[in-house]
Amino acid sequence: MGEKQLSSAEAELYDRQIRLWGIESQEKLRAANVLLIGIRGLGSEIAKNILLSGINSLTILDDGLITEDDLLHNFLLTESTAVGKKIAEEVLARAQALNPLVKIITDTESVTAKSPEFFHNFTIVVATKIKVDSIIKIDNICRERNVKFIYGDVFGLFGFSVADFQEHDYFEDRIQLTAGRKRGHDGEKKTVKVKGNISYPSLNKVLILPNTKQDTVFVKKLARPSNLFACLLTLLEFKKQHHRDPDYEKKNEDIEKLKIIAADIIELYNFTNLNMDSLYELLFGELIPVCAIVGGVMAQEVIKAVSHKEVTINNIFLFDPITYSGKELTVGA
Amino acid sequence: MGKNTVPCVLNNDLKTQIMKAKILVVGAGGIGCEILKNLSLSGFQDIEIIDLDTIDVSNLNRQFLFRKEHVGKSKAVVARESILTFNSTINVKAYHDSIFNPEYGVNFFKQFSLILNALDNRAARNHVNRMCLAADIPLIESGTAGYSGQVELIKKGVTQCYECQPKSQQRSFPGCTIRNTPSEPVHCIVWAKHLFNQLFGEEDPDQEVSPDTEDPELKKDGTFTETESGNVKRTSTRQWAQEIKYDPEKLFNKFFQDDIKYLLSMENLWKTRKPPVPISWEKSIKQVDGSSDKEIANSVDMQIWSLSKCSQVFADTVSILKEELGTIAGNIIPAIATANALIAGLVVLYAFRVLQDEFQKCPAIYLRQKSVYSRVILATDNDLQKANPNCYVCSSKPLVNVFVNVNNMTVNEFENEILKNTLNMVAPDVILDGKGVVVISSEAGETEVNNNKKLSELGIIDGSILKADDFLQSYELTININHYEAKEKDDPLFKFIANPAELKAKQDGVENGTAVKMDDDSKKESSNENEDDDDNDLVFVDNDFPQASSSKRRKLNPSVEDDDLILLEELVD
Repeated sequence: MGEKQLSSAEAELYDRQIRLWGIESQEKLRAANVLLIGIRGLGSEIAKNILLSGINSLTILDDGLITEDDLLHNFLLTESTAVGKKIAEEVLARAQALNPLVKIITDTESVTAKSPEFFHNFTIVVATKIKVDSIIKIDNICRERNVKFIYGDVFGLFGFSVADFQEHDYFEDRIQLTAGRKRGHDGEKKTVKVKGNISYPSLNKVLILPNTKQDTVFVKKLARPSNLFACLLTLLEFKKQHHRDPDYEKKNEDIEKLKIIAADIIELYNFTNLNMDSLYELLFGELIPVCAIVGGVMAQEVIKAVSHKEVTINNIFLFDPITYSGKELTVGA
Repeated sequence: MGKNTVPCVLNNDLKTQIMKAKILVVGAGGIGCEILKNLSLSGFQDIEIIDLDTIDVSNLNRQFLFRKEHVGKSKAVVARESILTFNSTINVKAYHDSIFNPEYGVNFFKQFSLILNALDNRAARNHVNRMCLAADIPLIESGTAGYSGQVELIKKGVTQCYECQPKSQQRSFPGCTIRNTPSEPVHCIVWAKHLFNQLFGEEDPDQEVSPDTEDPELKKDGTFTETESGNVKRTSTRQWAQEIKYDPEKLFNKFFQDDIKYLLSMENLWKTRKPPVPISWEKSIKQVDGSSDKEIANSVDMQIWSLSKCSQVFADTVSILKEELGTIAGNIIPAIATANALIAGLVVLYAFRVLQDEFQKCPAIYLRQKSVYSRVILATDNDLQKANPNCYVCSSKPLVNVFVNVNNMTVNEFENEILKNTLNMVAPDVILDGKGVVVISSEAGETEVNNNKKLSELGIIDGSILKADDFLQSYELTININHYEAKEKDDPLFKFIANPAELKAKQDGVENGTAVKMDDDSKKESSNENEDDDDNDLVFVDNDFPQASSSKRRKLNPSVEDDDLILLEELVD
């Protein structure tokens, strides 16, 4: 990795970001092969950000067909694209235009049809809009070969990501002033390379839903019950039961379903004093600005995971649909 | 009727507001491109874009509405074309123009429901801030620097304005450090920048590059006496350069040999420092230091040059610059795609709230780099930041105290350095209160005769009151003049204070006989260095964050001492 030097075209194109994260990071990025599962609103944002960053290859896996909604909200499609075509193939032209230097492969097979070897080819797997069974399965496959994994989703104004970077080594540059003199004109600044390690739990210890065979001993009581984590689990369970996202056309009906599921989650985790009532209304549709926020966070995590530069989020990121704050929550470790 | 891309999750009232809204996006750089994408895919039907910049290759790694074939074209125009391919039914108007252009007056701003700033420099931010205050239109201000960023609502009478908090001025350095005793790489860069301006840019006597014989350190033991032969003759560097026809060898020998030899004669400076080594053109080109080029990457930008290569490039560059003049940038942290995307997402979520007049739900939000000390990536303030009652921009009677040497400063310097560069006026009219003297007129030619007069020659002395009026910004400012003479080596040429309480404290200080030492915020040697920056969304380290006051804001480069602060903050959180 990184034995070949950046070409002058690459150095020119990536000049600004290299000034931020350094040439070493850029060389690691350029050696990275990324699998992106799902190319809807959130997927398109992640694709844009990581294509721009200058990875080696991006494989876009999505067996879905284009809907009316995609045409209205996906900037990787043009208006003239026909509804019903395979979305992975139709986003190619625009995705490639974002960065002609990255190899892009489109794949219209189902994620469930893929062999473990398929996943082992990648540096990192990024998944959106998949079911919890697939999340756990892919994570286990990734763990066999130390392929890093991150999953994320957007539901209305709510969004999150869940990462498993396994045993992750990283370093960060910290600027220190030499002892004695502080902030004076002659004070010398020194950049120190600080190394760190984060041990991520496998996702079968993180995303535990009611009525599963999984060993609930992994349910670790959180120091503080989290509304948003409960909301995340509720949505995963909803998808598992109904094989779809909550639907605005069936809003009232779906809110009732979500409430029933939430009650089970709260019981399983023994979350007391949680009230998710203000959240349900906000969980419909895929809002582009929220996709931009969660997609920005996830792409940044991909860049950090691949370059081993800067501290990664361990292991869940939660975007608050009411306050718009965004926090890390560590679960299962 | 356009296609309905309004998100279903929003309430019906907001859906209607979005369809009706007319939005101005100021800047089509990194954040601007992202905002425009979000707006066009979220149901907005009427969007206008203004940017005077053209597309550069180094923009393409984040300004994703542009491609290689667009290099050299107008950002505003290409951004418009790009978002129309997402949705051709919306109305988008592009202005390839400066927002400072007088055509964009208060009435222009009044036609919009909301202004979204996606700018890269403080001068333009200040200007749009004033235009929005004058037009009483809400403004969402945003910026990023590296992994960090910020979004803030500015609404007259509800929040603070962009200029309510004194901002740290662009870092400036004492002239003698730059000219005599540079100790950090940044000093060398500032010196080079000054040299550039002396030779090719705007001549500025405060940006002299030759040895400074006024260095207070020289006078400590009184050993150094200025010799007539040694010091540079007081013709300007520019004049001399022109006389020698920008001969690179002669320039090189002056700056790197003669000036250095002269510096060495200032023995006081080298008692504790390592003295510099003079080098002649002949020696440097023969590579006497034995250095050789080192390639870090196969790129013109990432090599370490040998001395002879540096000298050669110096000569070549001088020859080219003789013909073509331009400008260069200052302190910068580069912007990246992910942070821009995140911030632009928040900007549009706040736009939704502003359209419903939910101003209270729009406290400032800060994007912070993840650290081992903090779990918070997006931090929101608990409340809106209240306006500063003494703000010299948004208070009911804007007032500022300016400290200048009225016997030295000319009217021209006062207009450019203080009114324009520091107080960010565009075309001020100034009268001396009580006397009716027109000091500065925005009408060309009317007061030219005053330009080179000292302030005192026009009767502007300690205690004088000036009334400055900027018609374009609908901004009237009362300026109390205080005579002040720079004494210490590090003293600025002038300073200003808006808050009367602060002023009181300083005056008390004087009465008690203690030295009046101004804080860094009021120090200003040169400003708006970034105004002509040709890379639109490179962001200036000190510039981009409106409120240094908030605890949620994290230092860009936390040093060891700052980590404690962050830990404390986490405990409170």
